Amino acid sequence: MKNLSRRDFLKLSTNALFGLSGLLGLGGLFRYFNYYPPEAPVEFDLGDSANFPVGSRTVRSDVPAVIVNRDGEIVAYSLVCTHLGCTVAESASGFDCPCHGSRYDQNGNVLAGPAQKPLKKLSVEILEDGTLKLHAKG
Amino acid sequence: MRRAYIFVIIGILVLGGAFLPSAFVGTSTALQQATATVSITPTFDSSRLAQPPTVYPPAQADTGEQTYWGMCMSCHGDKGQGLTEDWKNSFPPEEKNCWDSGCHASDAPANSFELPQTGIPALAGAGALARFSNSFELYRHIHENMPFARAGSLTSAEAWSLTAYVLRMNEREVQGFTLSESSGAAISVHRKVTPPASQIPGALIFVGVLILAAIGVNIQQASTGKPNFFHHLHPPSIPAAQSRFRYTLGAGGAAVFLSLILLVTGLLEMYYYVPTSAQAAISVQTITNLVPFGALTRNLHFWSAQFLVVVMSIHLLRVTLTGAYAAPRKFNHVLGVALLAFILLLDFTGYVLRWDEGIHWALVVGANMLKTVPFIGEGLYRFVIGGSEPGDSTLIRFYAWHIFGLMLGAVILMVWHTFRVRRDGGIAIPPPTERKENERITRFDLLRREVLAMTLAAVILILFSLLIPAPIKQPITSFNIMSGDSRAPWFFLWIQYLLKFGDPFVMGILIPIFVVLVLGSLPYILPNAKREELGNWFPRGNRIAQVIAVLIMAVILVLTILGAIPK
Repeated sequence: MKNLSRRDFLKLSTNALFGLSGLLGLGGLFRYFNYYPPEAPVEFDLGDSANFPVGSRTVRSDVPAVIVNRDGEIVAYSLVCTHLGCTVAESASGFDCPCHGSRYDQNGNVLAGPAQKPLKKLSVEILEDGTLKLHAKG
Repeated sequence: MRRAYIFVIIGILVLGGAFLPSAFVGTSTALQQATATVSITPTFDSSRLAQPPTVYPPAQADTGEQTYWGMCMSCHGDKGQGLTEDWKNSFPPEEKNCWDSGCHASDAPANSFELPQTGIPALAGAGALARFSNSFELYRHIHENMPFARAGSLTSAEAWSLTAYVLRMNEREVQGFTLSESSGAAISVHRKVTPPASQIPGALIFVGVLILAAIGVNIQQASTGKPNFFHHLHPPSIPAAQSRFRYTLGAGGAAVFLSLILLVTGLLEMYYYVPTSAQAAISVQTITNLVPFGALTRNLHFWSAQFLVVVMSIHLLRVTLTGAYAAPRKFNHVLGVALLAFILLLDFTGYVLRWDEGIHWALVVGANMLKTVPFIGEGLYRFVIGGSEPGDSTLIRFYAWHIFGLMLGAVILMVWHTFRVRRDGGIAIPPPTERKENERITRFDLLRREVLAMTLAAVILILFSLLIPAPIKQPITSFNIMSGDSRAPWFFLWIQYLLKFGDPFVMGILIPIFVVLVLGSLPYILPNAKREELGNWFPRGNRIAQVIAVLIMAVILVLTILGAIPK
């Protein structure tokens, strides 16, 4: 106590109170802004599974995704580059990104950077009636 | 020294501990997503056709379940599966026979009806509610089209409880929440939403921010003895007579405080408000029902706006009844009346932004009134509405006027008005030689009083905001269907009542403009109070103006009350 004058003490208290007031207000603002409208599910109807025979590769640019049937199992890869989100284009070796030159093979694995991760696998659901549904959000 | 710091820090932590948790509680529970699987609350023991047990007290969906059992289940199924073969087979043979033999057909006994050719859709499960986006749309469909044989026979309460039950069948029921015309549009049918539980933490935060800052302002002055920024907004000292509450009523200061609250809450609302005719009412319902502290923010904005009109009217009456607008304050009186007109227009545009059935007819009538102005009427209407009938372009115009056009004008007038108060020598009192007392108060005292008054005003505002919610009705779905309230907002009820008595141009436009002109020109057309009379209520000098102002205000008040009485 010996070095803290009354004046310094009050000054400190003032700043503390203003700081606390501001912090409290920020906390309230943080809560207020923390509402996000519910997002509708992003699903695509792919039609009959017979449209995707073994060995076929089908690009759906509206998703965008490529639907691959390698050996009876139908899988889908997102065509969004895992680097910074451009849409990759088909090429001889697989898929090339026009923005920063990342290259992927036909199964979405990285051939050349700057992308580090392979193209994202999307889930394909087989409905009771034999048609396929693609869930574009994982 | 070090121990003192520790002491202060502990003190802060204790104070902070009281308020901060409420700021962060519940941040992680913003949205819970539910998967789209069919689920049933199996309440059938012996038979799928048995009445579900009653629950007490019933939630809205429980009431809906009973109604569903009575009216909807035979066609839509016990799980909302629709009229499937499995469901037909669950009926006793003689009734199953009825499904097969087509007794629900035109040639059957009376009261039968033909089943729809397209089949009876499922109500629950993936895609069942795909054609709707929110509960209000689902409600409207049920209310207008169901039950199939007697469409439109459901009361709106029954339709809402059925809506709640359909949400429950789809695992979208919002627990402890009542769907209604003021909340349904905010509730998605595709994702389960979780409304914030309470507005109290928000109110505590708001009060806490103000009280902590208020204590801080006072301690700061005690610690330094030097004026801070807020002190510098005031003169070093003012005559005590200028700060007497019984003379000023504090109305001008209250108006400034309410304007500040309006600016802040209005800014916050803009982050969620969507100014399109399809989304506006939905976004208002979202703010009110889903955004954390959103209801409090909106209620504060609403109540500040209502009180602002009241407080400004009191201020106008005070200035007139004390003759305070005598020279050199004549022009500032004009600025003040112009500001009142701006605030009324801001209140009206803000009211229209709700874009719900509550404002529907006030907008239509108010806009059509403009058409009655000779020569320029049609042009004026198109200028305000942005086309030949209300729609998207109307809403975006009102939005622009409300948040910027009128706001800018009001801010300029407010700054000008406040500047003139100080320029003209502060609040009106006699010149120094004529004063009975020469007591003065410092700006420190003045600011302390202002801070105290603001805190009190804030508490009153918050109490109103917590207890009486701002109005909201169902979204406008068509500009041709007459439904909902046809009443003007309360501050224009007197004009609505006047409209009963004659030509809309005279009653609705000329008379209100005339009233504003008379009030604004009082200092110029009637005798004023003498300088030595200032600082007191009811000076002799401007008695005529006092009588006229009181009469105008009394007539407006009476007409407002008459207009508020339901027919």
